[in-house]
Amino acid sequence: MIGRKDMIGRKTMLQIAAVALLASTGWASAKTVCYVTAADSHAYATPANKALEARAKELGIEILSLSQDFDVQKGTEQLNTCVARKVDGIILWPLDPQAYIPGLARAQQANIPAILINSPMSDDAKPFIKSFTGPDVYEEGKLAADSLSKALGGKGSVVIIAGQAGNGTTIGRVTGFTDRLKETNADIKVLDTVNADFDQQKALVVSRDLITRFGDQISGVYANDDTMARGFIDAWKEANPSKAAPPIVGINGQKDAFESIRTNEMYSTIVQSPVEDGRLAINTMAEIIDGKEVKDRLPIPLTVVTKDNVNSVEPAF
Amino acid sequence: MRFLSLASQHRVVIILGLTLIISALVVPGYFSASTLGLGLDRAATIGLIAIGLTVLLIAGQIDLSGGAVFALAGIISVILQREIGILPAAIVGILVGTVAGAINGALVVGLKVNSLVLTLATMLIFRSLAHWITNSQPVSGTDIMLSLALAKTYLDIFTIRSALFIVLIVLLHVWLTRTIPGRNVFAVGSNPAAAKESGIASDRIVFFGFVFAGTLAGLAGVLQSLVTNTGSPVFGSELTVAVIAAVVVGGTRLEGGRGSALGTLGGVLTIGSLTIAMEFQSVPAYVQQVVSGLILILLVVLDRAVTTKGRASGTRPALISDNPITQGGTT
Amino acid sequence: MSDAAMEISVNPDRFTRGSKLVDALSKAGLAFAILAVVLYGSVVSPAFFTSGNLLNVLTSMSIVGIVVVGMTFVLVVGGLADLSVPATIACGAILSLGLQPMIGPLPAFVLAVGLAGLIGLLNGVLVGYVGINPIIATLGIGTIGLGIVQAAVGGVIVYGSNPASAEFAKGRLFGIPVVVLIFLVIALIGHFVLSRSFWGRWTLATGGNYSAAEASAVPVQAVKAGAFVITALTAGISGGLLGLTLQSARPLIGAGYEFSAITAVVVGGVSIIGGFGSVPRAIAGLIFVQLLTNVMVLDGVRTPIQGFVLGILIVGAVGMDAALRKRGVA
Repeated sequence: MIGRKDMIGRKTMLQIAAVALLASTGWASAKTVCYVTAADSHAYATPANKALEARAKELGIEILSLSQDFDVQKGTEQLNTCVARKVDGIILWPLDPQAYIPGLARAQQANIPAILINSPMSDDAKPFIKSFTGPDVYEEGKLAADSLSKALGGKGSVVIIAGQAGNGTTIGRVTGFTDRLKETNADIKVLDTVNADFDQQKALVVSRDLITRFGDQISGVYANDDTMARGFIDAWKEANPSKAAPPIVGINGQKDAFESIRTNEMYSTIVQSPVEDGRLAINTMAEIIDGKEVKDRLPIPLTVVTKDNVNSVEPAF
Repeated sequence: MRFLSLASQHRVVIILGLTLIISALVVPGYFSASTLGLGLDRAATIGLIAIGLTVLLIAGQIDLSGGAVFALAGIISVILQREIGILPAAIVGILVGTVAGAINGALVVGLKVNSLVLTLATMLIFRSLAHWITNSQPVSGTDIMLSLALAKTYLDIFTIRSALFIVLIVLLHVWLTRTIPGRNVFAVGSNPAAAKESGIASDRIVFFGFVFAGTLAGLAGVLQSLVTNTGSPVFGSELTVAVIAAVVVGGTRLEGGRGSALGTLGGVLTIGSLTIAMEFQSVPAYVQQVVSGLILILLVVLDRAVTTKGRASGTRPALISDNPITQGGTT
Repeated sequence: MSDAAMEISVNPDRFTRGSKLVDALSKAGLAFAILAVVLYGSVVSPAFFTSGNLLNVLTSMSIVGIVVVGMTFVLVVGGLADLSVPATIACGAILSLGLQPMIGPLPAFVLAVGLAGLIGLLNGVLVGYVGINPIIATLGIGTIGLGIVQAAVGGVIVYGSNPASAEFAKGRLFGIPVVVLIFLVIALIGHFVLSRSFWGRWTLATGGNYSAAEASAVPVQAVKAGAFVITALTAGISGGLLGLTLQSARPLIGAGYEFSAITAVVVGGVSIIGGFGSVPRAIAGLIFVQLLTNVMVLDGVRTPIQGFVLGILIVGAVGMDAALRKRGVA
């Protein structure tokens, strides 16, 4: 994997240091980019990782892939590994809006450019990153709010089935949603927000309780991802086998969500392509390494999928 | 058999040596000071908590709440920065760990309950508090420059965190092997009833074991929060398992009465260098899991195969022997 | 073999000395606690004491309830806890869905449960025969198992492909959800084995006093190993049902189930020290925890506070149990 640096490197430590130094100043042809990803085995992250690595190969960039396994603390320490390896660039998948800032600052001190993939960080991180590519979980929350508002005609009371408490994606998707409702002055009340950890069974269980508690008061549902939306649908079917469920809005654009939209079980989902997410990040990093200027925000398209366009859009995974 | 027992005695050294050799073969430049320093820094967080857990395990107890205390202490130390300044806030954070440990200790000693179940419960409680206080949102500190200073590497190897870990573990080694209270911990862990009869205040030792473990988890949490300038309720959720694995790889037994500080050092370093080596090769996280799980199982099996000849194979941890019912037929 | 069992059954006091009164008291305590939750729930929420809601609670607890039955054996035999449950659940869920297209739903389910049982056998051999601490053994095997599952699945969500089996798992028989019925059947079998069979007596004896049981010719090693096999089988069944009802499975599908199961067993007053406990007690503990959680959700209590209450509850349960037991002996 390390290629020619590897061959030279085994001789003496001095030479390694020299090569590494040269590599970082642009002499060696193969550039190495450190990719701190969210996880290795995950429905969205895996295809994104694969796309990123495949594109890197085309570009002749070596990828040093480090998986946080959804553990922020691990990720903050992995940034140090990247800096110590004197890589040519860092692509970080943040799982927390701010914990990585000191690590990114150290990368900057070492003259290693860094960009964010998939999720944004707080504004304090801006000075330390060249760009943020990919979807924006906060934006997704806003789109979900708009979609549900539309379904409800701007009036109603909804429940939010949120992901893991304290998780960056959860925070973004929930605050984006609630902020947008406030922004648009929609007459939509949030009855309750419950955490179901992006888990279908947990969503099923809390949905049973929510349906018992609020019953017909629930005029709409916002789930932080399609998996949990599925949990609500199943709970509703148990409780009211013959009654149509209120409009349910999910995120992710999973195959089974598309199926649910076709059969009117779900109102909408939001598709973001993991492949585009991964490719955009490495393309951007390649441009940075080549010395080009890049925009500080490079979004990938987010498509709200409803019954109108469900047959013309590809599911994300 | 003789070879095996020799291998078993020095297994931590052997496994650490093997890890380093294999790593050096596959990772170019592994033995550079900066890489070793990196491994050490990565190991420091686990290591600090492992110091406390080593004492507890030797005393025949266990603490599952370390990861939650880690998060809680960090959060408190960050939240209070604005009110009382960075250093006092850090001290309060560490004290939060101490108090958490005291709660664990008081409940285990006072109620005479199994520490596995009890610290499972307090783990839930401390973690819930962390979510409660922060409303499940990460909180940020006031001084990012301090974070950068804390992560600085000295002499090419040591960060403040890793130096602190090394110093503390050497101190622990001296305390466990050279002082009477230190040796009493072993006595309490291997046979609490006998320890009591010979006049050792085993309850007090157990209590302070928990206080010590809580304090160190607090210290590790505060350092983590200072280095990242962030306190988060999700920090440390994966830590407890890693810490237990590191301590056990180091030869300390969950049954109590056996273990050493230097063994823990070896175990922590093994886990640290293994992680760095595998990450340098972009080994997927799940393969890393399988490897560390195999090493853990292999080492304890080797340990058992060599040293259990005389002992009943179903020995239970000493932490339960305070209970009169299990004491029923043994004497 | 049966002689050994006889000898133990005629001399139970040796293992559970003075626990009759304690038993009655702690049983009454648990019944009182459940009653209190029901009363409180009925007061705060009109929706609580309805057949719909209670059936919901029962359905929600069935999946973890099946694991609770197995975990009871582990605690009673003195095996502390089985932390590999997330791996065995994942194994059950992923295989029972993933193998459907190849071998059909029922063989897939059976094979999934069988493989989970094999993981349990590994645990059992390490704990029972090699003598490794159960926490370490199940932690290690669980980590390895979950790692392999993740490597095998590679981040893909495994979907079900057999609607008929999904219909069955989600369906009802005589108005009762099928998962609930399966849970009840497994609980009954578990109860029978633990309280009426020679295996149960051996389990209690091994957990109560290992060396005495060994001296009475109880195959202590096999009994100890068996408890872990039983837990893995129940977790495999639980995982398989989870997969069938959800029609999708991911490697982390079983996360947290080990602690939920242990919590239920311990709150039910089954001693983690071993030698004492029954399936009905563990299930009573589960019912209490589930009703309480249900009441809290209906009452709009925030998630972190729910965890806090649950933690306090466990401390209370083990504390009361220890206190009662001491008095019972004195």
